[in-house]
Amino acid sequence: MTDQIKINVNGSEISSKPDQLIIEACEDSGIHIPRFCWHKRMDPVGMCRMCLVEVETPRGKALVPSCTTKVSEDLVVDTESDVVKKAQEGVLEFLLINHPLDCPVCDKAGECPLQDQTMAYGPGESRFVEDKRHFEKPIPISEIILLDRERCILCARCTRFSDEISGDPLIEFIQRGNKTQVNTFPDEPFRSYFSGNTVQICPVGALTSSSYRFKARPWDLKKVSSTSNCSSVGDSVELNVSQNKMLRILGEDNEFTNQGWLSDKGRYNFEYLHSDKRIETPILVKNSNKELTINETMELISNQILTSENPNISFIVGHNSTNEEYYALNKFAENLNKVENENKVSTTNFYLSDDYLYNGFFNDDYSLGEIKDLDSADTIILWAQDIKDNLPTLYLRIKQAVRNGKKLLIFGHTNTAIKELSEEYYGENIVTNNFEFNVDLSDIPNLSKYIDGKDVLAIVGKASPLQNVNPIFQLVKHLDQNSNLKILNCFSKGNTLGALQNLDIVKGLNEFVTEFDSSKKNIVFTVGSNPVNNSIYSHKIKEALIDSDFVVSLDLFKNETTELSDIILPTTTFGEKEGTFTNLEMRTLMQNKILPTPGSALNEWEYWLILSNKMNLLESYGTEAELNSMLCKDYIDNGNIPSFDNLNKPSNLDGILNSKTINIEVKNVDSTNLEILFVHRLYGDSSSQINSPSISMLGSERFIEMNSATYFGSYMLNSDVVTLIQENNSIQVNVNINENLPDNLLVIPINRRGFQDLNPEKKVELEVAKSREQLSVT
Amino acid sequence: MSWEKALIDKAKEIIDMYPQKRSALGPLLYLAQEKDGYISNDSIVEISNLIGITEVQVKSVASFYSMYKEEQTGKYLLSVCKSISCEINDSRSVIDSVKNFTGLENYETDTEKVFTFEEVECIGACGGAPAVQVNYETVEGLTPEKSLQMCEWLKEERPEIIVAEELQEKFGGVKSFDWAIKDNTGSSYSVPGFQNIGTAKEKS
Ligand code: SF4
Ligand code: FES
Ligand code: FES
Repeated sequence: MTDQIKINVNGSEISSKPDQLIIEACEDSGIHIPRFCWHKRMDPVGMCRMCLVEVETPRGKALVPSCTTKVSEDLVVDTESDVVKKAQEGVLEFLLINHPLDCPVCDKAGECPLQDQTMAYGPGESRFVEDKRHFEKPIPISEIILLDRERCILCARCTRFSDEISGDPLIEFIQRGNKTQVNTFPDEPFRSYFSGNTVQICPVGALTSSSYRFKARPWDLKKVSSTSNCSSVGDSVELNVSQNKMLRILGEDNEFTNQGWLSDKGRYNFEYLHSDKRIETPILVKNSNKELTINETMELISNQILTSENPNISFIVGHNSTNEEYYALNKFAENLNKVENENKVSTTNFYLSDDYLYNGFFNDDYSLGEIKDLDSADTIILWAQDIKDNLPTLYLRIKQAVRNGKKLLIFGHTNTAIKELSEEYYGENIVTNNFEFNVDLSDIPNLSKYIDGKDVLAIVGKASPLQNVNPIFQLVKHLDQNSNLKILNCFSKGNTLGALQNLDIVKGLNEFVTEFDSSKKNIVFTVGSNPVNNSIYSHKIKEALIDSDFVVSLDLFKNETTELSDIILPTTTFGEKEGTFTNLEMRTLMQNKILPTPGSALNEWEYWLILSNKMNLLESYGTEAELNSMLCKDYIDNGNIPSFDNLNKPSNLDGILNSKTINIEVKNVDSTNLEILFVHRLYGDSSSQINSPSISMLGSERFIEMNSATYFGSYMLNSDVVTLIQENNSIQVNVNINENLPDNLLVIPINRRGFQDLNPEKKVELEVAKSREQLSVT
Repeated sequence: MSWEKALIDKAKEIIDMYPQKRSALGPLLYLAQEKDGYISNDSIVEISNLIGITEVQVKSVASFYSMYKEEQTGKYLLSVCKSISCEINDSRSVIDSVKNFTGLENYETDTEKVFTFEEVECIGACGGAPAVQVNYETVEGLTPEKSLQMCEWLKEERPEIIVAEELQEKFGGVKSFDWAIKDNTGSSYSVPGFQNIGTAKEKS
């Protein structure tokens, strides 16, 4: 396998892997061959001919496209001969025949491969005097993407992406010859979770995004690499900023994680950073929203802690803090416990605001896998939340693995798009609506064929908040006994693993509501989380917060939770702070700062530090870097610890795998009769999304999902409007039919507002709106 | 308009002839073409559901090939060959007489939807040039006069089924080959008469 072969390029010998394409082999040796259509993450098509090189054949020298020709032993290649240059000039002259050359008004100008390569390899002058082909200038092909067909050079990158990579081919070449154009089908817009990638890979300015159009020139952009909070894959990104405003996020090719791709949420969910609704000064909510100075607020809070009688202090944390911030919070809590006065703090607890949190597989009984194991495993087992919605770039990796022949077996019934990729789908016949097995594990059809003695990667997590997780443990045990098993713990949100690694013991929201004791003094901190919305426990959390003595919220926006707080502290987020992020395979990656801190906001850790100082709890850090070196001491293997220094080394830009002890204490829920399955869809109505105008409308619709015929006998049609009635609640929603769902189960996106009050264990009555045409709900 | 059950059944029969559903795309487009005289968007939606590819992928193929029409053709599609063999046997005057009679330019359809006229590349009847197709049924050895007569006949008689041999007998001249097998099947709209997908129609 590792055998290298020798080829000769431009007179010097280089070595290459057998089976490599000439263009790749040259690239690996630092020889650049111009190209438009070839993209290393997609199949070659040889559309554009820009990559022509001369090779020696038994019949003399010949021009071949280097992106479709493989190397062979002693192949002689010339990438710079006069013939090659002539060919490149010719190709460019042809490509420019119909190109409008409207670079002065084109977003791509300045970073346009067509522009750059015309400069470098083009003929300099055009001989074309006839009329160019004309199309209507940009047409919207979705809510967020525009297409200018005149600029298109028909490289098929976008169409191949949508077919091969994302698997929703909603754009294609239409017509033939001179009329060929990329387009969508009428009334079937390019609604893909991944459409933004086509804008990034289009080698001209044909595809543009509504969010970046006419916003900046590439040479004015300041750029920094970072890691996206969008999901716990930790997609590598490049942040583009001009005049202190984030204008664009691009995917960076990280071999281990996103391989260059991003979901549209990861790409476009940033405009909220500059929303005028951002909180920029501390607010005393209970005093008609009076604005305070940081100092005043810190006094208030530390006094509260010191004077409350043996308070229980709870921290409800979100998933957008950096490891350093979680670590600082943990130290703060540790120190609070050490305060010796008559009002000694009685307990401090961390609760992660994620309904899907469960104990997972972190002990030494099982070996943990990596994302890249998808490419080497024989079988992939999936029992988790909807991957496409919650870990979109992991979905792409799974799709790619299946394309390469890996067998995907899916358990449970929340999976939609991914079902089409599966070899076996163990839905309602195997797993009940309550997530229990109907059959003995050894009787599951074909399971043993795919696992016995094989390399298996199991991606497991809770598929729904109220899932009894014992069957998952049962399944994993069964897999472990019969295969070479590796496990990828499927926690989907942002820096969840960072929280788990750096907070001593983490519990869930259910624990918060059950442990909450209103007879005690309660001080609650919500840290970048909005638990009064988006959780199946929201209702009870709201009551608990109302019953609490003092609530402090660290957040970016006002929301349902901050309404109940005493004090809101403005914080920073993605792009405004430096720190580390740990993804679901426990790979630690760098998050870099490129934006100034808005108003008088502070990083979370700075608040913990100031509070400690106010309370005379001595802390020995003063910067992120110091925090980082402190937290690095706890990593299990000190060999390659994810310190800032290490992570900034060029060899570590893809992140460092390392682990820490993790303690999750979440009690199993045992629901006996699930009528509603709560799921998270990619788009919701979180504060960040509704304050990002480009994508705000994508999560605004309220809908439920069910299969067509059957919710207790009611027959439904797509986009029917129904009223859900449960006790005193009634909610009007649209129906989306999803035939992959089992009978008698309603699927409801909990990350859209309006559903918090439904009880998942009680039956919901459905009333179809009288006239189906009349109503539409938005 | 969506497809009737009978048409869907026929489509399913065709799909079953292929190892992969999507391979049936070509023939299914002909069914759509036969139904409406063009490939309507509604038909595209039906086909996409039947073979499990997206609408735009169907559209991509349908718009690539010129025998799949994007606009409704008349009852009779007149395809007059303009390629080399016919050209040197004076296809120009055949073209002119057809154009004169119908009053149509290339790719046009008259308002009554009787004729659609198109000039096409070689239709494989060079031996009997100049040649014309009516609903893809070929007539060879035409003259300007004969082609005029043919158009008049079509307009007056309005035959439901066009059969090559009948046209040849009535209006044709020299033929490329004589297959010596009587074939009285033809086509009924702007779709070639294929036995295996049922677009071939028998004339009694
Ligand atoms: S729109 Fe861009 S990516 Fe798509 S084919 Fe045209 S040039 Fe290529
Ligand atoms: S890059 Fe090789 S043909 Fe386009
Ligand atoms: S040139 Fe007319 S049939 Fe061949």
